[in-house]
Amino acid sequence: MPETVLARPLAARPRPRVRYGRIAAYLFVGAGALLMVLPFFAALFNSLKSHAQYIQVPPVVLPDPPQWSNYTEVWDRVPFGRYALNSLVIAVAATVGNVLSSAMVGHALARMRLPARGALLTAALGTLMLPTVVTIIPSFLMFREFGWLDTFLPLILPFWLATPFGIFLMRQSFLAIPPDFQEAATLDGAGPWRIFTRIHLPLVKPALATLSVFTFMASWGAVLEPTVYLTSPEKLTLPLGVMGLRGQFVGNDQLVTAAALMSLVPILVLFVVAQRYFVRGAMSAGVKG
Amino acid sequence: MTPVTTASRRGRAAVDPPKVHPPKPSRPGGAKRTARRVERRWALLFATPYLAHLVLLTAWPVLALAYLGFTDYDTVSSPRWTGLDNYTRLLRDEAFWTSLLNTGYFALIFVPLQTVLALALAVGLNQKLRAMPLLRGAYFVPVVSSWVVMAYVADAVFNPRLGSANAVLGWFAIDPLNWLDSPVLVIPTLALIAVWKGAGYMMVLFLAALQAIPQERYEAARVDGAGAWGRFRHITVPGVSGTTFLVLVLSTITTLQAFEQVFVMTGGGPGDASELTVLYMYRQGFEYFHMGYAAAIAWVLFAVILLLTLVQLRLQKRWVHYA
Repeated sequence: MPETVLARPLAARPRPRVRYGRIAAYLFVGAGALLMVLPFFAALFNSLKSHAQYIQVPPVVLPDPPQWSNYTEVWDRVPFGRYALNSLVIAVAATVGNVLSSAMVGHALARMRLPARGALLTAALGTLMLPTVVTIIPSFLMFREFGWLDTFLPLILPFWLATPFGIFLMRQSFLAIPPDFQEAATLDGAGPWRIFTRIHLPLVKPALATLSVFTFMASWGAVLEPTVYLTSPEKLTLPLGVMGLRGQFVGNDQLVTAAALMSLVPILVLFVVAQRYFVRGAMSAGVKG
Repeated sequence: MTPVTTASRRGRAAVDPPKVHPPKPSRPGGAKRTARRVERRWALLFATPYLAHLVLLTAWPVLALAYLGFTDYDTVSSPRWTGLDNYTRLLRDEAFWTSLLNTGYFALIFVPLQTVLALALAVGLNQKLRAMPLLRGAYFVPVVSSWVVMAYVADAVFNPRLGSANAVLGWFAIDPLNWLDSPVLVIPTLALIAVWKGAGYMMVLFLAALQAIPQERYEAARVDGAGAWGRFRHITVPGVSGTTFLVLVLSTITTLQAFEQVFVMTGGGPGDASELTVLYMYRQGFEYFHMGYAAAIAWVLFAVILLLTLVQLRLQKRWVHYA
């Protein structure tokens, strides 16, 4: 065991025992992590293969030579940039809206004299059990009535009306702020808006970041709503564009895989930059409201 | 803290005005009431987005669904009242029951597998491992990937002819499987892929719960001679039971609304082997334009979600220990 070899020079250390549990944990968790990401590498290799190599049986692992032109070919053959731009516009608008509205509502629930506060909180819990898939039909009819079909609005507006997850997350963070700041500011004559923007908001920046990355991710990857609301080819989002490729590129799966992986890049970058906010957000879902 | 400030505020208000206007003692109270009313108005203003949400995205859909469920509506001509027809038709609709059974089968594999795996991973990761952020990051890659991306990444593994899963089975001289193309294996494979995508998220929930268990309990148990399994069984499991409950509820709701995965990966096939209820509803509504019928399915779905959540809430009292 490598551990014992390492431990020998440090014999003076108390209890130089082999930590089998630790090694087992490393092996288990490490193997699991590999299983999680290896398929992504397999897909990456697939995306760099020529078509002949892609369909070769038995399959080869590594592309030889890697065909980087697959990636540029996607851009040449479909309006990939257009899809990306559409997705970006929608995701940014949704994120801004959800952060603003959820922060306001969370603030009202946590730090203001809101009438019927308890009832509203219960209602927010209830809406958690009313997933989009259940309400998609009446929502579709409503947005059709508004004349919003085949526009980005049905994909953006719901986020401007505060999501239950956002409300709970923000309420939780506002509750954690000690009341002293608010009281001092009130004595100094600050109004509710000033207290919200100047005092409380800066104190919940981590929650705002968390909510931003989660909203962006949800909007960027959504399939159901764009499928229902968007019809014009030039208005499609990335996931729909990638799915559409399947029909256009029959027998060119390496290109579709390349397109799918490209759609993952912005989210991966966001994830690497803001990993702790993803983790924090996941954890805050476990905090009871 | 609050009483002091209120007192001082009242004190100041009570002290200042009488010097100027001695005969107006009621003023401070009135001003305070006005201030409170203003504050309440501000609070309502802040809550406006959510009040609009409740009207447009909660009340309207629920009422509209309730109505549409009793009608025949093709989205072009106006809805025609048909009473309970949709619901009696649902009872006799074999495709609908198949979809419900498929959803239940999916949940039966997915929910326990994901919960156990997420807990095991969290216990494994709940140590001062050096590569912790990297490992945790690896588990989050599928979480942040959209289902469209997952579909192509999963294809690299489960493609019957080209995927690596069959290649690995080949090493052990096991015949290749058809995975998503097999009517028998399609649901277990979908559940496996869903666990792959979701376990990292649930693992983080468990990790938070594990870190909240006081270390002294483990020390005390060790002193009492409890082994690793005993400590896990009697300290860890009850310690995270609140989170286990949450994970169970969240996973159950996820399976009942699992749409994107099947929509992207199998389209319900082969045949109707992976036709889940939400997909069936989507087809009825947006492919055949039977909006009334689809609304009835949505109601059944909502009722099932509600029922399962209530059952879990009820059962929770038997086994969840809140510290």
